Amino acid sequence: MSKIRRKFVVPGDLIVRGDYKPVANVYREGNSIYSLKVGLSEIEGRRVRVIPLSGRYAPRVNDVVVGIITDINPYAWTVDINSFFSAFLPATDVFGKRFSPERDDLTSRLKLKDVILAQIISFDRSKDPMLSAQGPRLGPIRGGHLVKISPVKVPRLIGRKGSMTRMIEEATGTRIIIGQNGYVVINGPPEKIPLAIKSIEMVEAEAHLAGLTENIQNFLSKSLGRKIESEKFDGE
Amino acid sequence: MSAAERKHEFVDSLRRRQIIDGLSLGKRTDGRGLTDYRELKMEIGAIVKANGSAMVHLGNTIVLVGVKVNLGTPFPDTPDEGILTVNADVLPIASPYEEPGPPDEDTIELARVVDRGIRESHMIDMSKLAIQPGKKVYSVFIDVTVLDVDGNLFDAVSYAAVAALMTTRFKKAVVKGDEVIQSDKMMEMPVKTIPVSITTAKIGSHTILDPDGIEEAVMDARLTTTFDSANRLCATQKGGEGWFTPEEILRQMDIARVKAKEIRSVIKEAVKNAKKS
Repeated sequence: MSKIRRKFVVPGDLIVRGDYKPVANVYREGNSIYSLKVGLSEIEGRRVRVIPLSGRYAPRVNDVVVGIITDINPYAWTVDINSFFSAFLPATDVFGKRFSPERDDLTSRLKLKDVILAQIISFDRSKDPMLSAQGPRLGPIRGGHLVKISPVKVPRLIGRKGSMTRMIEEATGTRIIIGQNGYVVINGPPEKIPLAIKSIEMVEAEAHLAGLTENIQNFLSKSLGRKIESEKFDGE
Repeated sequence: MSAAERKHEFVDSLRRRQIIDGLSLGKRTDGRGLTDYRELKMEIGAIVKANGSAMVHLGNTIVLVGVKVNLGTPFPDTPDEGILTVNADVLPIASPYEEPGPPDEDTIELARVVDRGIRESHMIDMSKLAIQPGKKVYSVFIDVTVLDVDGNLFDAVSYAAVAALMTTRFKKAVVKGDEVIQSDKMMEMPVKTIPVSITTAKIGSHTILDPDGIEEAVMDARLTTTFDSANRLCATQKGGEGWFTPEEILRQMDIARVKAKEIRSVIKEAVKNAKKS
């Protein structure tokens, strides 16, 4: 595994010259790659990307998000997904093809302010993101504690192959549902939830710092008074 | 209020459920008991140029009240009584959900509930505010400015208005021939009783006192009751889409009476200290 090179950049900053592949939040001009956002640039092998320090959620097809119902009309729910667009969940997705606005009452399935786990099934510049709540794990979330973090910090909360989430879950005995949009739902015994929230807030606050995993590991070990193991990967 | 307008934080159903779960264990989000008020801080005489003023902090809610006494013409139906007017304004910087512009329904309701508490408790002896019955009376303006919104504006504003009135001093008017002129002698507001407003919120099947911002956002109904110094009920206002059963209301009255006494002593103490200095 090649070493990751990181550097703080602002929009327009030259990140690297040569044969590199732009991945996210960067653009190429000739054979130079520049940043589009304020954040940390990462060069991993030939792949170049910038992890922004802040920002709202930019919807991407196939992302699984946690949403809050903000409005209901006879044909669809409007869902807050912490983005610059509000998403919509068509009634046919929940009721099936035989949905009829005269017969079926949308509030019988999802009420205002309810929380759902859904997948973005279509989105482009001309229309708002469309959601689907059909699929494994998807659907209404009936319990738990909703925490809102910055969507750009979500990859850090997940960690490599889900290691960070797993560490927090195992240490605190909770189940954590992460939406790519930065809405996180924690389930578990009420007395365990505050520690999980604290850990997640810590990940958010220190996401841009080196040694995040160790910091969280130490924090959890200290809070619980027992050693918490983190998963080790080659090259770390 | 139109449906599209949001006056409160949009609170998801999970949060509401947690709050209700907490309440059934007797715990609130900020650690208070169900009938506890937040810390009440009163700064009396906050506005130097006003006849009377008070700034009240109730937790994170901050309100400022100024009283101005002018000369005016009485209303035809009450020729031998002074004039009392309450105006409220919630500044756009006070809350992310507040917009600039003329006062909305909620702000008007706030002014009217505070007005009702003062008026119906007969806090001020209005007949003593008449100078020349039918011609000249004192007119009392109570101007309310809400600086920071974190729930329970009714009570915070009411306490500030009452404290400001209790410390109001204004120039005594004298009749000279046909004219009424202001003399250099100062007089105090003729205060007869100290009304105290107590607000109850209902969330699920639980009732709590002094709802904060998030509790107001998830509450089903609220009931504001005002008691005079003899602890007689003199004004009520119910809000929200939910309801109270008669038993709930009677139970709340008993709780509120006890609470009103406590808060009246805080106001009295603050006024006493302000008058000393």
